[in-house]
Amino acid sequence: MFGSLLGSLGDVLQLQYLIPLTIGTLAGLIGGALPGVTITMTIIIVLPFTFGLDPLAGLAAMVGVYVGGESGGLVTASLIGIPGTPSAVATTFDGFPMARRGEPGRAVWLGTWASFIGGILGAFFLILTTEPLARFALRFGPWEYFSLFIFALAMVAGLTERSLLKGFLSGALGLIVTVIGTDPIMAVPRLHFGTEFLRGGFQFLPVLIGIFAFAQIMTDLEHMARGRPQVQVQTSSLAVSHLAVIWEILRRPFLLLWSTLIGLWIGVLPAIGGSAANVMAYDQAKKFSKHPEKFGTGIPEGIIASEASNNANVAGSLVTIMAFGIPGDAVTAVMLGAMIIHGIQPGPLFMIQEPRIAYGIFAAYLLAHPIMIVLQWLLAHVYLRIVQVSKSILIPLILVLCVIGAYALNNTMDNVYALLLFGVIGYLFVKFGFPLAPFILGVILGDQIEINLIRAIMTDSDPWLFVTRPISGVMLGLSVLSIILALWQHRRAEARMAEPAESEVEF
Amino acid sequence: MLGRDGIAGLVCLGGSLWFLALTRGLPHPALVPIGPGFYPRILLGILVVLSAALVVSDLLSRRRAAAAPARYRLVLLAFAIFAAYVALMPMLGYRVATFLFVGALQATLEPPRGARWWLVLAVALATTLVTYYIFERYLSVLLPRGRLTGF
Repeated sequence: MFGSLLGSLGDVLQLQYLIPLTIGTLAGLIGGALPGVTITMTIIIVLPFTFGLDPLAGLAAMVGVYVGGESGGLVTASLIGIPGTPSAVATTFDGFPMARRGEPGRAVWLGTWASFIGGILGAFFLILTTEPLARFALRFGPWEYFSLFIFALAMVAGLTERSLLKGFLSGALGLIVTVIGTDPIMAVPRLHFGTEFLRGGFQFLPVLIGIFAFAQIMTDLEHMARGRPQVQVQTSSLAVSHLAVIWEILRRPFLLLWSTLIGLWIGVLPAIGGSAANVMAYDQAKKFSKHPEKFGTGIPEGIIASEASNNANVAGSLVTIMAFGIPGDAVTAVMLGAMIIHGIQPGPLFMIQEPRIAYGIFAAYLLAHPIMIVLQWLLAHVYLRIVQVSKSILIPLILVLCVIGAYALNNTMDNVYALLLFGVIGYLFVKFGFPLAPFILGVILGDQIEINLIRAIMTDSDPWLFVTRPISGVMLGLSVLSIILALWQHRRAEARMAEPAESEVEF
Repeated sequence: MLGRDGIAGLVCLGGSLWFLALTRGLPHPALVPIGPGFYPRILLGILVVLSAALVVSDLLSRRRAAAAPARYRLVLLAFAIFAAYVALMPMLGYRVATFLFVGALQATLEPPRGARWWLVLAVALATTLVTYYIFERYLSVLLPRGRLTGF
């Protein structure tokens, strides 16, 4: 294992991989720092640039975006009090007060080094657990796969904050999208209304790009119409003693490890990402603290918890996609699409069939962290100025890149029409308060759920096998349990929770 | 009276019943136990139940979300401009359509005055040319040519 990893580190250090990784990390840092541009949006923008690259180079660029994005958000969160990405929301609570108190360098570098250490600790988990988990998944038959995907979907729908019913409905609607077009077993066209456009079904990348990009951009346009103030950045010196900052982090080992573990766990859970990890880690840090009342006043613990967890979350998400083929969040969903375009199928066989790519991803993830530190050190002031670029310039540019991303999948306008269609649907989802994550996971897993269900029934028509086979039965049991738990939590929360503000995008 | 959730539930209910009716036309193969309609029917059945439950829960719910003041002018304009861009691209080609789209959307989002028109045009031109050269020349993506312009 470590021999392969060392070999891959040597590979990724070659310029043909190192340049995309560095550019990806820089794009992630900038995208992460831009308020209103999420990491998902950044990876969607970068996606078309990776089509013409070697698969590992393309994936290295995406890993760079992911790692850079998780760290870029902390700069705007600390310096201007606006989290560049939802993954840095909790960083704002203590980063901004610390910066306002006259310690902007300490705030930014505490976050950056905590991201680095959390990310590297996450790398150990990624490297050590992916292969054993994939080997375990090799024992799966169609019953187990079906139950695993149902479990993933049930968990994501159950994690919906607003309405549980809408979470499940959103997941079911995602699954319906995949039954449009030819059926995966006999290639019979279904529900295509006699049109060529629908006969082949929808590829999931245009659906994903349309849903996420438009849900975000159109919500931003509503805010623009409401006249939100423009961001004004004050760039003061970020100079700091790095050794002192690193020591400040390392002398809190419990906080660091616990936040990293939370990030990893949230990352492993399908379809939720850093946006949940940082808030949860912050909350836990506060609960375990001897002085919880100081949280929110600019203490290092708040920044360390948030930033260590969101970078560790990346490692957790990568484990799920590499071992099971289930995206850990929206960013890995785009990576899944990119892999499929290059003819790579993530899942239990991925580590065996594509060891060069798999270890290359590990190496890219490890190397992205020091690259992120160097870029943060060299360019934090430069890309803080980019944050001030007007949205009226950014939005058309993002939409053009979305169009190219959809079109370039197989050089057809049909994918661009699908992009527009799902853009409208994505915006309607936001307006009607439907969560996007279960829908996307439904679209991604729909085909696999159907294929495994049919394979299982064709192998043995006894439906009880889904329950009586141990692994399958456990996963179906866990699905039911997660639904019951979600129902109980919603009941409890309903009494005290006021209706959340409309027009907030729930991913 | 139905609220936002009730309307969404009704739309989903209507759509799933319609789709369910359409699955009746799917063939039943003689050699295999289940056909192409098996899985969609299960899914649509679940969708019918969930949609109906959403309508009922909305009717029973006494709490109504306060409607936020509508600010849809920019959203509708942006969607219209994007739809026009997508529709015109096969006729005008990537370069002409993108130039027009970027210019029109910028001007809509932040109406330019005086010298700012030059900035709008420069951004539109730069976006078009840079993306065209990067994708066509370096990343081997053949972007659409216009039926009318041949460009």
